[in-house]
Amino acid sequence: MSSIRVFLIASILATLTLFNFVAALQGYNSSLQEAEKLFDSQLFDTAKLISNLHVDKTTSSLNHLNDLAFQIWHESQLLGASTNAQGEIITELFPGYGYANFNGYRWRTFVYFDPGRNNWIIAAERTDIRFALAETVIIKAVLPIVLSIPLIGLLIWLIISRGLKPLRDLSSQLKNKQINDLSPIEIPAIKKELEQVIHSINTLISRLGSAWDREKRFTADAAHELRTPISALKIQLHNLKEDLTTDNEAFVQLQSGVDRMQHLVEQLLSLYRSTPSEFSSHFTPVDLYQLAQDVIAEQHQNFEKKGQTLELEGSTNIVEGDLFSLQTLLQNLLSNANKYTPNGGIIQVSVERLDAQVCLKVEDSGIGIDPNDYSKVYDRFQRLHNKSMITEISGCGLGLTIVNHIVELHHATISISPSGFDSGTAFAILFNNVDRPNEK
Amino acid sequence: MFLNSVILILQEILEAALLVSVLLVLSKHHGIKPIWLLPAIIIGVTGALIFAINMAQISEWFDYVGQEVMNAFMQLAILFFLSFLTALHPKNRWVSIFMLITTSLALTREGSEIFIYIGGVIGQAPYIQSTHIQPTLTGAGIGAGIGVSVGVLIYYGLLGLSSRYIVASSVLLLALVGGNMASQATLLLTQADWLPYSQILWNSSALLPENSIFGHLLYALVGYEATPSLFQVISYVCGILLVYLCWCFNLSRIDHQAKYKSPDINVHINI
Repeated sequence: MSSIRVFLIASILATLTLFNFVAALQGYNSSLQEAEKLFDSQLFDTAKLISNLHVDKTTSSLNHLNDLAFQIWHESQLLGASTNAQGEIITELFPGYGYANFNGYRWRTFVYFDPGRNNWIIAAERTDIRFALAETVIIKAVLPIVLSIPLIGLLIWLIISRGLKPLRDLSSQLKNKQINDLSPIEIPAIKKELEQVIHSINTLISRLGSAWDREKRFTADAAHELRTPISALKIQLHNLKEDLTTDNEAFVQLQSGVDRMQHLVEQLLSLYRSTPSEFSSHFTPVDLYQLAQDVIAEQHQNFEKKGQTLELEGSTNIVEGDLFSLQTLLQNLLSNANKYTPNGGIIQVSVERLDAQVCLKVEDSGIGIDPNDYSKVYDRFQRLHNKSMITEISGCGLGLTIVNHIVELHHATISISPSGFDSGTAFAILFNNVDRPNEK
Repeated sequence: MFLNSVILILQEILEAALLVSVLLVLSKHHGIKPIWLLPAIIIGVTGALIFAINMAQISEWFDYVGQEVMNAFMQLAILFFLSFLTALHPKNRWVSIFMLITTSLALTREGSEIFIYIGGVIGQAPYIQSTHIQPTLTGAGIGAGIGVSVGVLIYYGLLGLSSRYIVASSVLLLALVGGNMASQATLLLTQADWLPYSQILWNSSALLPENSIFGHLLYALVGYEATPSLFQVISYVCGILLVYLCWCFNLSRIDHQAKYKSPDINVHINI
């Protein structure tokens, strides 16, 4: 994940460094040219000064410095010269600046004609020494620009960190907010740029709070409004049972329908009554293997009716969970397997420990699900098989939605794959919160 | 000394910074963790040191053209690894390894020249004027600063592009790096007499001198030469084409896979 702070510090520092250093290079070039002019001006002054010297034709040691040389010519006669320029003429006698090579160095020359004495003065300076002198002075000016970059970087880091503090505070408040804390975010001295963000978050929290209250009220009302008529229906059914024979087909269907409706209403109310955090606070250790045994025993009749073989594999494995929900999960998975597996088919339930996880797997040799439809199986009221089959098999398309919801409440993972049989589907649920009695 | 130092260090750092920035952008864009970077820097810097220390012996190889041949070899290796890299599917595990190898080679090549230069100046300290050391080091600092800054700005500049242009722009820059490597390798092999001299195709020195700062910048970024030979131009174009065609091959393969991809067997829903 990229960081705003790193981006700001790196890009600002890079831009500053780039422009500063390019400016320093430009400054270096300009300063070097200025220094060149200054040295030339000095050379001119030196030549003029030398022209005023009274020299004889045998003058031989006027200068001991190695970086300056001069010659005084009268027509073709050398009147005087520095010790390092005793030989040939340094450069041609044309007035003005130029360059010449002698004594193994390159020299900057200035030729001056003294009209009063009719003398030619050649003054010369070594270019490498002029350059080194100029560079030393300029580098003294450029060096602080280079050395200041780490300091500028540190300052940019401090300023950006300070500037991003309100954002960090907001992030910290949101991170530390309890899941059931729907109070508004409060940041002292809100910055203008964050005002709208905080206002929008607080509005969202407020709307969430209202929606949550409405949902709780609806659940409470629905619990009462749905349970009461179902209870009344059950009483009426009980009364009706006295007047009818027990094998009356219509009565049996009606009783089964009311029982299913009651079960569905209880399931829905139970599952949507709590948030995941509230739900997990009621978790108790549940032995999945024992639970599978109980649910299988409870539903065994349905499998027997279709002549299906039901196998249970594995051993005792305890997870932290809600007993009722896990029971519903297993009931729904087994009910699905029972419905969509033909007569004489096999249904296999296994409870196994996989490292730190427990895997509950239900697989069948039924008609299976097209892999393209795997992502749709948890949709509400979704029945994926063809219409003729759907009409034959009872159901409302909520079973796997409820399974998925229970998995979510237990912070578990569910996956679907083709079963190990020739056909059919396997549902595998991985529970992370394994209860380890030995480690307690 | 100062300006020479700026130009040499800038050129070397910029070449490496451009390559590393583009590889980091591709790495980030394809969700590849940049774990290859640190080992690449360590291997590259160590390689550069070893190469610089043994330069005297290496120069004697192949009838005293060892330095040119080894540098050309490394440049061609960078070109080929870049081509492999662009030819691979981004999720292929070899992508990280090729990024590591390419960066290590680039750092070894560029780093060795920096070490030789700086080492040479500092090593001669007792024999040269002390006034040369400070300008050299200051110039090195400025060259490195500009090179790294341009690299950082290229990195964020590429990341700032919209998603569909990031890969295309990065591959374009990698292709230019590839072309630059091929052209430089040709020049070095020509200097080593391993390749015959060919005619100079043009001279743009008047328009943009190669030894100007902008000329050096363009040399490092796109391999600008004011007087390129025929073989250099041919190798430059071939280098660009090689990287580009490898990328096209990769694109066509990804399209083909997407068209005929079988549906996933397992759908895991993590809650």
